[in-house]
Amino acid sequence: MHIAAVDHMANNGDSFLHHALPFTKVIMSFLFLAALIFSNQIHKAVFLLVIPVAFILLSGVNVREIFHLALYSIVFSLLFALIQLQQSWTAAVMVMIKALGAALNMLLLIATTPYTDIFAVFSHVLPGVIIDLFIFTYRSLFILIDKLEDMVKSVRLRGGLHPMRLLFNLKNAAGALGVMTIHAFDMSERLYRIYSLRGYNGKIPITREWGPLRWVDILLLLFSLIVLTGVLIPWKI
Amino acid sequence: MSHIHLPDGVIPPAWWILGFVLCFALLWLFTGRIKGDELRRKIPFAGVIAALMLIFMSVPLGFLPVHLSLAVLCGILAGPGLSFIAIFVVNTILALMGHGGFTAIGINTLLMGGEAIAGYYLFKILSGRLSCTFSAILSNITALLLSTALMLILVASTAGLSEVLPFHDHGQNHGEEVHFAESKQEEELPENYDEHKAAEAEGVKFLSITGWSAVIMIILSGIFIESLLTGLIVNFFSKVRPDFLDIVHPT
Repeated sequence: MHIAAVDHMANNGDSFLHHALPFTKVIMSFLFLAALIFSNQIHKAVFLLVIPVAFILLSGVNVREIFHLALYSIVFSLLFALIQLQQSWTAAVMVMIKALGAALNMLLLIATTPYTDIFAVFSHVLPGVIIDLFIFTYRSLFILIDKLEDMVKSVRLRGGLHPMRLLFNLKNAAGALGVMTIHAFDMSERLYRIYSLRGYNGKIPITREWGPLRWVDILLLLFSLIVLTGVLIPWKI
Repeated sequence: MSHIHLPDGVIPPAWWILGFVLCFALLWLFTGRIKGDELRRKIPFAGVIAALMLIFMSVPLGFLPVHLSLAVLCGILAGPGLSFIAIFVVNTILALMGHGGFTAIGINTLLMGGEAIAGYYLFKILSGRLSCTFSAILSNITALLLSTALMLILVASTAGLSEVLPFHDHGQNHGEEVHFAESKQEEELPENYDEHKAAEAEGVKFLSITGWSAVIMIILSGIFIESLLTGLIVNFFSKVRPDFLDIVHPT
């Protein structure tokens, strides 16, 4: 899982993007995403791909990790690209550029903004129950990943995995995942008791950072608005 | 498994907007049902289920280029409403990681959530008559086939059905192209050309595992492995913690 690595980048980075307000970064990402979705010319799409790449390089995050994650989007878009290839190669390339650009945009957002800050921005549009769920999921995930790593180690040490015995592996994997699920259930019970004691009534209080807007926020918002407008206008030069 | 992680920019806006509308309507319906003390207990539980799904998704299936989702298992363990909410959270976190498009969250949630809901009800019906393991396998296969069919319809709709089908002509002037091809073929045909053998050779192409046949083989293998694993996990629960399956048949 790369979530821990991305979380580390978001919490420990020190670039101008890390210092910008979460609200600014979420708006900027969505404006770039909108520009990508509505761009219908290949040169515009390439330009929109260059922007997040440039920001990723400038923000000092782990480029290798980010590009590794971005590769998944190419794999997922491959099927659609192959379908489009039957029409024209430009349509296929457009599909892949759009998928990659959108993924890089999202990765730029999470690599420069801690998850909790993103959830805080989402809390303006999503019900409190869903936001709490995000927080519980996020919290549980790290604990369960640790447990899974320990479990995989012990399964391997006890000879529970053989490269050529599929059914044997499946049986052991099922047992391991079953034990994981039991751990997870026990954990949810503990979480319920802890949060009940703390007076949880269906809404975890979260801090929302709104402002004041700094120069970096104003510049980022202006830039993304200009990009979106530039993409939407059909230039005839 | 059938969860294809639709990327951004491939689905027409009308489709993904409709996906979001339907997804939020269902979320509103399911979250509205959880009230009071139940809320305090179920939200951490759904959070853990979502975390488990994210972990299950990181389990590779060896040589197959697909991964597990175990949405049906989560449906069986958490019930249709809670699993749908958890799946929305999973898809949003995955979209933030570049794993599937942000605009496709609604559609991806509907597809995967549909899997969980269908799996839950099928398991509920079947487990009254068959063993837990066999019911889990059957309900998983049916739910996955259903969501895969829906996904393929969606893929077809994004490019037009004729573009997706393997045998069609893409030219604008269909008649002219075919005529041109036929006349060219006639010109270049060797003297010992055997139409019967040529037809047989073309038939061989249909049996080779390439293109769509390969995609279908991969999907079916993935469905088989995921269903078997779900069955084995449910079998494990029925022996170790049968109370986990009580949600399906409450006592």
